[in-house]
Amino acid sequence: MKQFQYKVRDPQGMHARPAGILSAEAKKFTSKLTVKAGGESADLKKILSVMGLAVKCGDTLTINVEGDDEIAAAKVMEEVFKKNF
Amino acid sequence: MALDYRKCAQEILDHIGGSENITSAAHCATRLRLVIADNSKVDKAALEEVDGVKGMFESNGQLQLIIGTGTVNKVYDEFLAITGRTEESKADVKAAAVAHAPLWRRAIKTLGDVFVPILPAIVASGLLMGVVEALGKAIPGFSQSDWYGFLDMIANTALAYLPIIVAVSAARVFGGNIFLGAVIGIVMIHSSLLNGWNVGSPEDINSFFGVTDGVIPIWKLFGNIKIFGYTLLSIRRSGYQGHVIPVIIAVFLMSRIEKWFHKHIPEMLDLFVTPLCTVLITALLTFTIIGPIFAQLESWVLTGAEWMVKNPIGAAAMGALYPWTVVMGLHHMYNIIEAGMLSSVGLNTWMPIASAANFAQFGACLAVGLKATNHKTKAVAVPSSLSAALGITEPAIFGVNMRFFKPFICAMVGGIIGSLFGAVTNIGATAYGVTGIPGYLTINNPLVYTIELAVSGGIAFALTWTLWKEENPQPKGKTVVEDTNPADFKLDPKVIMTANGNEIHQPVEGKIISREQIPDETFASGVLGDGIAVEPTAETVYAPFDGTISTVAESRHAIGITGKDGMELLIHVGVDTVAMNGDGFEPFVREGDEVKAGQKMLSFSKEKIAAAGHPDCVVVLLTNAEDFDDFKVNA
Repeated sequence: MKQFQYKVRDPQGMHARPAGILSAEAKKFTSKLTVKAGGESADLKKILSVMGLAVKCGDTLTINVEGDDEIAAAKVMEEVFKKNF
Repeated sequence: MALDYRKCAQEILDHIGGSENITSAAHCATRLRLVIADNSKVDKAALEEVDGVKGMFESNGQLQLIIGTGTVNKVYDEFLAITGRTEESKADVKAAAVAHAPLWRRAIKTLGDVFVPILPAIVASGLLMGVVEALGKAIPGFSQSDWYGFLDMIANTALAYLPIIVAVSAARVFGGNIFLGAVIGIVMIHSSLLNGWNVGSPEDINSFFGVTDGVIPIWKLFGNIKIFGYTLLSIRRSGYQGHVIPVIIAVFLMSRIEKWFHKHIPEMLDLFVTPLCTVLITALLTFTIIGPIFAQLESWVLTGAEWMVKNPIGAAAMGALYPWTVVMGLHHMYNIIEAGMLSSVGLNTWMPIASAANFAQFGACLAVGLKATNHKTKAVAVPSSLSAALGITEPAIFGVNMRFFKPFICAMVGGIIGSLFGAVTNIGATAYGVTGIPGYLTINNPLVYTIELAVSGGIAFALTWTLWKEENPQPKGKTVVEDTNPADFKLDPKVIMTANGNEIHQPVEGKIISREQIPDETFASGVLGDGIAVEPTAETVYAPFDGTISTVAESRHAIGITGKDGMELLIHVGVDTVAMNGDGFEPFVREGDEVKAGQKMLSFSKEKIAAAGHPDCVVVLLTNAEDFDDFKVNA
């Protein structure tokens, strides 16, 4: 399993657009991607579930990646987070 | 010129009384949220003039400065740098705002927190007690029957042993061990102590302790050492049956003591030392300090009450004070006054006063019960008011009126006027022990008594009905389906998409445009899912199918709804409207609510969206469209 953390910089937190981009990217991998914020976790491939976390600017997210392509997925997703969020 | 963040932060700080005047600081998308220790040091006029501050307002104990998206976080960073504070979440700020409320408000809130969980027990007890006592008076000989003895035992259990229940609940609220809390509660009504309801009766004292002078014996732990007439560590051997406040104070002390020991005792010794010391110290403090204070209060109240009810003005004042003595648990000795009246003049004129006060609690509580839309409030208030009508007011006072406070004040007013009326008309009872509706069984003039109850209850009801406003109305959503308001339903016959045979109806009136025409690349590209958009001609969004609300964006402009076969639909009102931070949007559903197709979910203001400079098209996308082989858009 791979894991990385990301601190949200988008002042508006996790709204529809970044959630959509993140899950679209996540869907490209077969690995299971879970994002945790506070006490809750969400399937990164589901937009509504990611939006439901109500992540705010300054929150720290922990992303777990588990599966055959986890190394590549973790690396790519970390970049996607940095670029869009 | 770009804003000088540091200068902005420094100026804000200067006008709010400096770093030491800040209790808490956080920011959201547009605002700097501060909790200020001393509001008098804040120069509001100067704050509004600070370059970068676009507006300010105070809300819920927070000072909120509107600074703007993308800027507020930078000002906040500088703010932290200058003050040396660490980053805080909005939740911390909210918690600090609650802690900032005045002491009496926090005390009432604590009282409510302790009482609400135990209401089922005392409501059951109150109702049964009212009925059993009434039957005892109504049916000759019933009060000597076995049934009465048995029912009376069950009925008074929760009220007589109230300290145990209160102690457990209080321990939970204050974070102490609930079993130690129970021990403290039990100690306070231990069978070695005289029942607190009998402290005024010399006969009971004599028979309980085997003495002849009618005085409650005292344990003198340190012999006869006296300080200013107070015998050091002397304990009057009487219990706290029916008491509330002394128990809550005792358990509060206990929780503090327990936590202190937990912190300072090594873990190995913790189980030996902490519970033992906690119980012993708490019990000592309770009986030697709280005990004498309440014993003194009891005798003052008794003498004061006897003196006051001799004239109508005093009686009116007693009508107002009566519920306070119930709160303090001091009302159990009143039957001594009543018994005294009966033996001296043969008429119990105390009962009409108590009845007026109690019936006013009924009126206020009933008003809350009928006016509240919140189902929980209703469910507590209605049965509590019934119990109060039967003369047992604890559930109504602690569970409802005191908690919302305004109804309590309204009931005091009702009590004053009712008591005054009762005293002027000089009605009285021929026995004692019952008030409210069961009072009819003992009253000498039922007609005047009816007027008195109508006056006190009616005034309390009318005042509460007019003045009390619900703070937590029933959240709309799931329950809206139950008590359907037809105006909140509108199912557009137009089916805009189908997935796995499931129909997705058009959620808002207007002209349909294809996904590709949405004026935003992210939506248009389909990366968020497939679907359509509506250029709205109306301002209400209705549920497009039966489903569950999976998310409502904090900025209230977007709703996610999950339907049959896992359809996950996103309804996003406008483009870039997240920046409006909720202004112009009103959701009627909450996360987790179940909605029916056609149910009203959200309303928005086209005008505000236009004013903010955003397109107002409502984007409707099935975010997991690729999971459905037969997904079809009917544009």
